[in-house]
Parts: sequence; structure tokens; C-alpha cells
Amino acid sequence: MLKSANSGQPSPAMELQSSRALERAVGTAAPTGEMVALTINGREVEVKKGATIMEAFYLNNIDIAYYCWHPGLSIAGVCRLCMVEIEGNPRLQIACNTQVTPGMKVNNNSAKVKDAVKWGLDFHLINHPLDCPICDQAGECGLQDQYMKYGQYDSEMGERKVKKHKVVDLGPRVVLDSERCILCARCVRFTDEVSKSHELGIFNRGDRAEVGTFDGKPLANNYSVNTVDICPVGALTSRDFRFRQRAWFLKDAETICTGCSTGCNVKVYHNKEGLFRMKPVYNPDVNGHWMCDVGRDTYKFVNKEARLLDAKVVNGGKTEHMSALELAKRLGSTLKGTGKSTALVLTGSYTVEEYEAILSYFKNEVGSPNVFHWINNPESFESFDGLLYRGDKNPNTRGLLEVLAQAGITASWKDLTEAIGSGAIQTVVVAGPENQANFPDMKAKIAELSRAAKLVWMGSGKSADLEALSGDVALLPVKSYVEKSGTFVNHSGVRQHVDRVTTIVPGALSLTEIVQAMKGEVIHPSEIPHAGFVPNKVGAGRINNEFTLGRGVW
Amino acid sequence: MAEAKYLSEHYSKPEYKTLEGYKKLGGYEQLARALKMEPQKIVDEVKASGLRGRGGAGFATGVKWGFLPNNGEPRYLLCNADESEPGTFKDRVMMEKAPHQLIEGMLISAFAIKSNKAYIYIRGEYTGPAAILETAIAEAKAAGLIGKNILGSGFDCDLDLYLGAGAYICGEETGMISSLEGLKGQPKLKPPFPAVQGYLRKPTIVNNVETLAAVVPILRDGAAVYRKYGTEKSAGTKLFSISGNVNKPGTYEVPLGYPLMDLINIECGGLKPGRTLKAVVPGGSSAPVLTAAECQNATLDYENLAALGSMLGSGAIIVIDDSNCMVDVLSTISHFYHHESCGQCTPCREGTGWMERIIHGIVHGHGNEGDVELLLKIADQMKGRTICALSDAAALPVLSFVEKFKDEFEYFIREKKSKVRGGQIYAQVSQ
Repeated sequence: MLKSANSGQPSPAMELQSSRALERAVGTAAPTGEMVALTINGREVEVKKGATIMEAFYLNNIDIAYYCWHPGLSIAGVCRLCMVEIEGNPRLQIACNTQVTPGMKVNNNSAKVKDAVKWGLDFHLINHPLDCPICDQAGECGLQDQYMKYGQYDSEMGERKVKKHKVVDLGPRVVLDSERCILCARCVRFTDEVSKSHELGIFNRGDRAEVGTFDGKPLANNYSVNTVDICPVGALTSRDFRFRQRAWFLKDAETICTGCSTGCNVKVYHNKEGLFRMKPVYNPDVNGHWMCDVGRDTYKFVNKEARLLDAKVVNGGKTEHMSALELAKRLGSTLKGTGKSTALVLTGSYTVEEYEAILSYFKNEVGSPNVFHWINNPESFESFDGLLYRGDKNPNTRGLLEVLAQAGITASWKDLTEAIGSGAIQTVVVAGPENQANFPDMKAKIAELSRAAKLVWMGSGKSADLEALSGDVALLPVKSYVEKSGTFVNHSGVRQHVDRVTTIVPGALSLTEIVQAMKGEVIHPSEIPHAGFVPNKVGAGRINNEFTLGRGVW
Repeated sequence: MAEAKYLSEHYSKPEYKTLEGYKKLGGYEQLARALKMEPQKIVDEVKASGLRGRGGAGFATGVKWGFLPNNGEPRYLLCNADESEPGTFKDRVMMEKAPHQLIEGMLISAFAIKSNKAYIYIRGEYTGPAAILETAIAEAKAAGLIGKNILGSGFDCDLDLYLGAGAYICGEETGMISSLEGLKGQPKLKPPFPAVQGYLRKPTIVNNVETLAAVVPILRDGAAVYRKYGTEKSAGTKLFSISGNVNKPGTYEVPLGYPLMDLINIECGGLKPGRTLKAVVPGGSSAPVLTAAECQNATLDYENLAALGSMLGSGAIIVIDDSNCMVDVLSTISHFYHHESCGQCTPCREGTGWMERIIHGIVHGHGNEGDVELLLKIADQMKGRTICALSDAAALPVLSFVEKFKDEFEYFIREKKSKVRGGQIYAQVSQ
């Protein structure tokens, strides 16, 4: 989980996590929860009263096999893998639906339990196609991981397997392979309980049962790809990610999603070619277990194809290419002391540290109080879908507003328009949007701002509108959010610090580095980016998932 | 000993089906009496009678009623008429011959457990009995026996019939509740049990047709008279459905504790000439099979059959003579459970299919060495591993058939033909 500090406001997203597990075990519901002591595999542990045995295992980092249980969903009790032996009860019980009682003695390491779990896995696998070599889930599959942990038997299944539908389009983003499906019903429960869109159901019965949708009702809600994340096997795959990369060729790192002001905690999966996908990371103060589909696409604007790659100055039909560092140094000398004739336009895409650095530069070095806030979609700014997705499609509007308020800046966009028109403002420096798709007024704003005598555009994305400008224009590539460290403040005031993940565009600078260069300071060597793939420290690119991770992560 | 027509006393009279005929023979007198009693008195009487659930599990009815929480929530009484255990057809006879007996029993029980809404959940294939029940319910409603202020007592109880779509799993009480709620017929996780959170998450009692009908004579004669029938642990009489290789298959009411062989040889007229008894499935297809030797001293009560490793179940006795190949019989049974598994729990969903495919392979001459051991292992791992008892129901016949008639299975695998019917082609029902 990322380092974050809650301002104290409860997150509406959290209220919607109708998770019995969380309320009971993590104890958000009852702060004065009574504790119950029990013994697991001979070890004394304590959990909140009313917790299940599964939660006791999970919160104490004790291994237990399971598929259908998920801390963010209701209990289904159908995979029958989380078998435990309770002293005094001759029948094995499932841990997920059994509440702890004081003094209970539970184990899952007796021969009886191990045999039951082994057979439970075998039942899951007898009709599974075992097509790992062509399956996207391979490398991060619950069946593979738990087989290595609890199975390791030779299958005795010699009969033909059940044939089911393959490559089923459940919706625009999710593809189903029914033969791989283990019918844990996590996805069905997700659409019933979290997205509340009820698209999925299990049709037919017995070993002919298949997940599916009703005709004309595809899985098309804005949270559909979460079903891919929670699918423990390769049954549900993301249309965006499938067949693009093997999981073990990707590194993962935690950061946040910058698609809107919720700031969902995510993992980005990347290699030297760039980012490939994003998955949510549990944070009870921000996004719970989930993230939206719109947010999942936000890795695309970070990748090289969408990026502004070199710095250049265009003046009177003459184009001069140079490094970003060189351009920043040159701008330092041209902007210094220009005073009120220079204006700064900021968008909500940057970190608090960058805002502070550039505001301080403008105040002290340029000597201009003309700072303006470019609001991308004012009409839908306050909208909210009730779960995670917000109309304010900037990760750090709140951080920007805080910095602007501290600096006492209150100017409106109208003042800028008038000042450009009257010639009072000659130079406009823009810290442009990172995700241009969220700025429908991009073209209009470029046209408007380029009326000034000189336009300095700092941005991470390439844009045909910018390339087409012919006046006095300087384009300066900046780092995207995965290439720098800094703080984002989400809509409710949660401050989230993210660390640099990787480098996509070597040579791009952060606003802080641009300020340093403009001031003639030396940029610290460690901040100078380099491209290249550095393998994960432990193992050769082993991807951790919920079945292999150390516990206590949710 | 002989047949004891206690519940089925008037079943032979066609007029018993009608409200008028039923009333003439003492019908609805017990309801009138009950409505003047303390509800708890009725519960106590049922408890004292030792009546046990006739649907299969044999749980003490009065005790079950006692599980209802006193939380002021509305309560529901559901009659389980989804009689779908292969071999069972006694509820059908009861509903066809004496629909008002069931309705009266339900109204008394509803009054006893303070429920104002009762449903009869009847299986989809029972269109005949459903029509008879519909008529009877309409008659009773018109006569003021169902609805508001029944017989001027101030007690309201609505009673409706719900026709299922024909699934074995909807006979499992929580599966039935799911189906009644409009959901896919799948059992629910327990706890919570239906008595605490059942239909619409409200306290609910689910009883079998025969159980609810038995409440009428228990109230009429008192627990002491009822207890005169049967044994100490299995009180009363029971209707048994006998099918298979007997001369007179049908439904017979005998006191519990009645010798199995007497029922076969006396009531049912014995086996066909020249045939000898091979095996008996005493409690519906899910009950472990008994060999002819085990049948000799078997008595039809909960405790004796449990001691023999089988169960009384729903009282469906399937008689198998020496003309049958046990592999064929198990093939049919395992096809049924594969077809009916709801698919929720993995061991049952996958195990039922796996076992059927193995047995099907044997029947078609594709058996492999080791299949017998594998079947036993699979069945053993399916037992007691799932939400409901369907997995056990599928595993128990496999375990008992294979263990008790191992020679037939091994012969079939080795010789690629049946020990009983030879190489003759068996008309495989399942495929």
C-alpha cells in the first residue's frame, strides 16, 4: 500500500465496499471490537470477534488454499479448498464460512486436510484444458500457484474432458474461456455486489455450467476489468492485455492512477517497451480493492508512441532541435526577470513538489504573479459515479488548488484571455496536460494561448496541434507520472506519495528539474534518467499475485 | 404384523379428495380444535409424538420447529413436495388421494409455529397432483379455511402452490428456498439455517408432505397413540414406495420397524417366479445398497438401517433381483446425479461427471484396471465436502455398489462384458 494520509473524510468508495470480511476483521465497523483467541496449527492468534477462520488465517499470514473467497466480496463457499480441521468436529469445515469461537483449535496441516485440499485441486483441474502455454494467466495463475503449493500429484483423470465455449465476448473489454473457468463465481458476485450492474450469471448446471451474459446485455460497465483481476484462472482475460506480453516478462511497481481525482492505488506492469497494464492495489482509504476501466487505459498516454520525444524551438519557420536540458537552460535566461509580461498556465496533472518549485521560480526569478489554472471539463467537474470514477479527471487538482491558495493566486482564465488580447502578456508558459484525452478543449486552448507572442509548452504528450504551430513556440518534453517521484492529493485530501517506476522517454524532465535547469543548478545524477530493463530483484521476473504474496496485503 | 393404514385410512375412497368427502370423514375437525389451543401445546404434542421428518433426513419435527427465533419477524412454512429422489412416489399418492389432509396439516402446523404464510413447493413434473392440489386449495379458500380469520379464530394464514421447474436439487431445503425466491435453484451456505434465515431471509420451516399430513392424526389421537406404532426411536407409521422387481410395486403404509423382507414378500407379493433377491436400495437412490444377506434381518426404521450402513431416507425401496447387472444399475444412478448436480461446489460438480464417465466407460467395455479403486477414491473425497448433501448422495451409491459388488465391476472391466447379462447390449439410458 502506498504511503498515504487520510484527511479524515470517509471515502464513499469505501462505504460501497460491501465487504463483510473487511467490516468484521479489519474492524472499520467496530473500533472497540472484542478479541477472540484461537489456535491455528498450534500457534496462538487473536482476531476480532465475529471474524471467520479464513480471516484469522489471512490476517496472521498463515497459508491456506482458496479460490472463491475474496475479501471484497460476499462468501460463496463453493471452491471447497479452504478446508480446516476443527478439534472436536469429525467433519472438515470450510474456513471462509466458519466463525471463530474462543479457544477453537484449528489446523490445515494434518494429513486429512492436505488430502482433501489435494483432491479439491484435482477436482478443479480434471476438466481444465491445461493450456498454460497459450494462456495469458500463466505465470500468475491461481491454479498453477496452488498446484505447486498444495498439489504436486499425478492426475488420474483419463476420461474425456467437458467441452465448453471458448473466446466468448462478454463485453468490449473482457473475453471468456469457459473451459478454463473454475466457476468460483467471483465475477458474478462482483457484478452483483460491487458494480451492481448484474450482467453476469452462471447458466446451466453441473459440469455443464458456464458463466455468461443475457442476450443484448453485455458486460459493459465501467468496472468490468476488475472481473479479470479477481478471476483466479485464465477464464476472463482483458481484451486490451491478452496476447501482448507474458506475465513473467513484466515488472510491477505500485503507484496511483492519474485518470481522475480519486487517485486509485495501482500496480503498473512494465518492461523496457513501456507499460502494459494496470491493476488496482487495495487501499481502504482510497479505492478499496477496485479501479475503473477508464483508469486502466491511462497507461497508454505514458508510452512512447504517445509522447513528445524531443525538445525544439520553432521560430518563423525555422526549427531548432536540442535536448530538454539545453532548452530549459536557455529558457532560464530568456524568462528571468520578464515580470508581468510572462504568464504561467498550470493543469492538475503534476505533483505538489513540481507546483511549489515552479511557482517559487515564477515569484522569485521571473517576478510574475500571473498564474492561471486550466480546468479541463468544468461542466462535469463535480460529477461522481458513486463508486470510484470522478468528473474531475486530474490526479492533483486539490494539490494544485492548495499550492495556488498558499501563493495567494486568484486570477481567473478570463484575466488571461484579456491580457493576451491586450498584449499585456507576451509570453505564456504552459505546464500542459499529461492525459490529453481528458482535455477536450486542448485544441481551442492551444489556439487561444498561441495568440501570445511566445508560447512555451511543457508537456509529456505529442500533439498535432502543437506541431502545427508556426509562431515563436518552444516544446519541452516532461516526465510522465511514472518517471518521477512526488505527491498527489486526491479529491478528499488523501496525500499520496508515489515513487518513480521507470523511464519511458530518456531526456524528459520533471517541472522541478526544469526549474533547477532554468536556475542553472546541476541536476543530481540519480535524477538523470536512463532507459533499459532492470529485472526484478528477487527471482527472474516472478509476478506476485494474491495466491503467492505474503499475507496482510489487503 | 401387517400393513397399518393410519395416515392412508381413507385413501381408497375417491370422495376423500373433495372438501365435502374429507369433512364427512372427520376432516378439518382437528384444525378447528387446534385453533382453540395454545400454539405451544401443539408443538409440544408433535415433539412428544416423536415424529421425524419424512423427507429423508429424519430430523425430529418438533425440535426443528423449536429452532425458530422469537424475534417478531414474519415466519414462513414451506411444504416440500419436490419429491425427486429416484424411487420415491409416496408424496404423490398422498397429494392425489388426500390433498385436504396435507392442507389441514399445514394449517395446523402454521398455527403452531405462528406463521401466516405457507407455500407448497411441488416438483415441475407433478402436474397431475398440482391440479388436484389447486382444486383443493380453491375449495378450502372458498370455505374460509385458508385466508383471513380462519374459522372465526382470528388466525390468518395464506396458502399457495408453487410449481418448480423440475430439478432434484430443489428438493434440498435451501435449494428449494432459492427457487421459491425466484433465484437459480442452488442450495445456500449454512449457517444461517432456514429456521433462522430462510425464505426471503426470514425464519422458515421446511417440512415434507408426509410429515405435515401426519400432524393431523397426531393431534386427533394424541402423541401416546401415535407412539404405539413404530419403535422407540422411530415412532409412527410411514408410507413406503416400493419399485423394482416385485410382483406388486406401489405405496404401502406400515409401522416403522416393519421387517423389510415381510414388506417385499407379503405386501408386495414377493419376487417374480424363479428369481432370487440380489440387493435392495432401502431409502431412495442415494441410500447405500443392501445385499440380499443384509436384507434378511433388516427392519424399516431409522436406527436399524443406519446400523446396516444405509438409511431410511424417503422410504423408497428399490428391489433388485438377480437378473440385473449392478454395473448397469450404478451407471443409471450416477448419470442421474451427474445430470442433477447444481454445479456450485467443485467436488460435486466435477466428481459426479468424472464418476459417470468412468462407469459409463466400464459399461461400454472401455474399463481400465484401477477404475474400481479410482471410483472409491473419488467418491470418498466427495463425501461431506460440499454445501448440501447431493455430493454425498452421489458418492454413497458408488461406494456401496462398488464395495459390495466388486466382483461384478472387476469382471466387467476384465472381460469387457457383464457378468450377469453377458455381451448383450445394454440400452444405456444415459447416453
